[in-house]
Amino acid sequence: MTETCTPGQRLGLVTEFEPGAGTYVAGSFVCASLVGIQRTVPVEETADKRLPRLEVSRSTRPDPVPSPGDVVTARITRLTPRLALADILCVGEHPCAQRYSGVVRIQDVRATEIDSVRLPAAFRPGDLIRAEVLSLGDARSYFLTTAKNELGVVYAKSIAAGVPMVPLSWQEMQCPTTQSVESRKVARV
Amino acid sequence: MEYVNTVGLRLDGRRPNEIRQLRAEMSTLASADGSATFEMGNTKVLAAVYGPREASNRAQTDTSKATVRCEYSMAAFSSGERRRRGKSDRRATETSLAIANTLEQNILTELLPRTQIDIYVQVLQADGGMRCAAINAAFLALADAGVPMRDSVAACAAGYLDGTALLDLNYTEDGGGGPEVAVALQTGLHQVLMLQTDSKLSMEVFEEVVELASNGCRAVAEFLRTTLLAHVGRLSLATSIAKSEA
Repeated sequence: MTETCTPGQRLGLVTEFEPGAGTYVAGSFVCASLVGIQRTVPVEETADKRLPRLEVSRSTRPDPVPSPGDVVTARITRLTPRLALADILCVGEHPCAQRYSGVVRIQDVRATEIDSVRLPAAFRPGDLIRAEVLSLGDARSYFLTTAKNELGVVYAKSIAAGVPMVPLSWQEMQCPTTQSVESRKVARV
Repeated sequence: MEYVNTVGLRLDGRRPNEIRQLRAEMSTLASADGSATFEMGNTKVLAAVYGPREASNRAQTDTSKATVRCEYSMAAFSSGERRRRGKSDRRATETSLAIANTLEQNILTELLPRTQIDIYVQVLQADGGMRCAAINAAFLALADAGVPMRDSVAACAAGYLDGTALLDLNYTEDGGGGPEVAVALQTGLHQVLMLQTDSKLSMEVFEEVVELASNGCRAVAEFLRTTLLAHVGRLSLATSIAKSEA
């Protein structure tokens, strides 16, 4: 049974329910703190003396947050000699409501010949890349990696004509208008 | 001027204890985390909520609870005479503080330490009762943003003219020189969050006016509740359609 509720609405007694997400306890009542749909999570079989949990969740899906292991879609914003900065746009298939910043360090661009990587030959600002989240990174950004065949640039516009380029190999993309070839770390899509 | 005629009707045809027509729309701005427009008769207010987000000012970050900030402004085209942009509007600053203070009491700020919630309220049409309309709009916007709150908040004003207590004064009645009391209530908990007046009034009149304003608040609260429930209904319908298509 689903029922919508508004903040402050009394949902049940503390003696009968345990307060879950989106609720709080006022006196002897469990009250809603959000506008949303009320759910009762039944007691687990193994737990003894536990009460069913009351939860209120917003019907809209919570914003996706990148976590290690997730494949994300990001846009390169800036290149420095050692790292490429990117804005994470999507986590898996779900677009982010908020902008998360990510970083591809030079050692995480590709799996082989790590020492000879030159970042300008792998990415350009504006490229859309598919990358995996390595770790939560430093205080500013998530660490991303493209060191897999299926990771790397998925969409890039050419310098000369500004049109989307076609991948030639895992290291090159070609502009269909000017036939010029640019080097990228291309993802195998 | 006669504010209540012999039949007992006011200038705009309302009874003394009658509220203006209420209208509300939620999620009116795409860029804000939560937003709402709220109308009380010809008064129209737009509220946008950003946050809870990381506090922009490190020095002012409260490590134990969220900081609530509000910016209230009146659009230049909102009143009958086009208003020049002043440098700092003292009345607007005061209203901003009143709105922020009222809503902060209702937000479960201790759940959101080190964060900041920004509320931006703009008056699009001014016809009296802007402060109360602003609080109602801001409450809807906060609910839309998913900020955890203690209870429903509703605000309404009442005044006293021609020996009668009048609910929800409009611009003409506001200029009538009588006292006006603005009240904001937590309707479920029966707590007064805000009670403001600029004029002196006797104890009996005060009690009568506050009682009338509180009844107005309860009427507004019921309206806000149905608005919120309808909005959640629309959202869950939209997500279920999206899921079935995926």
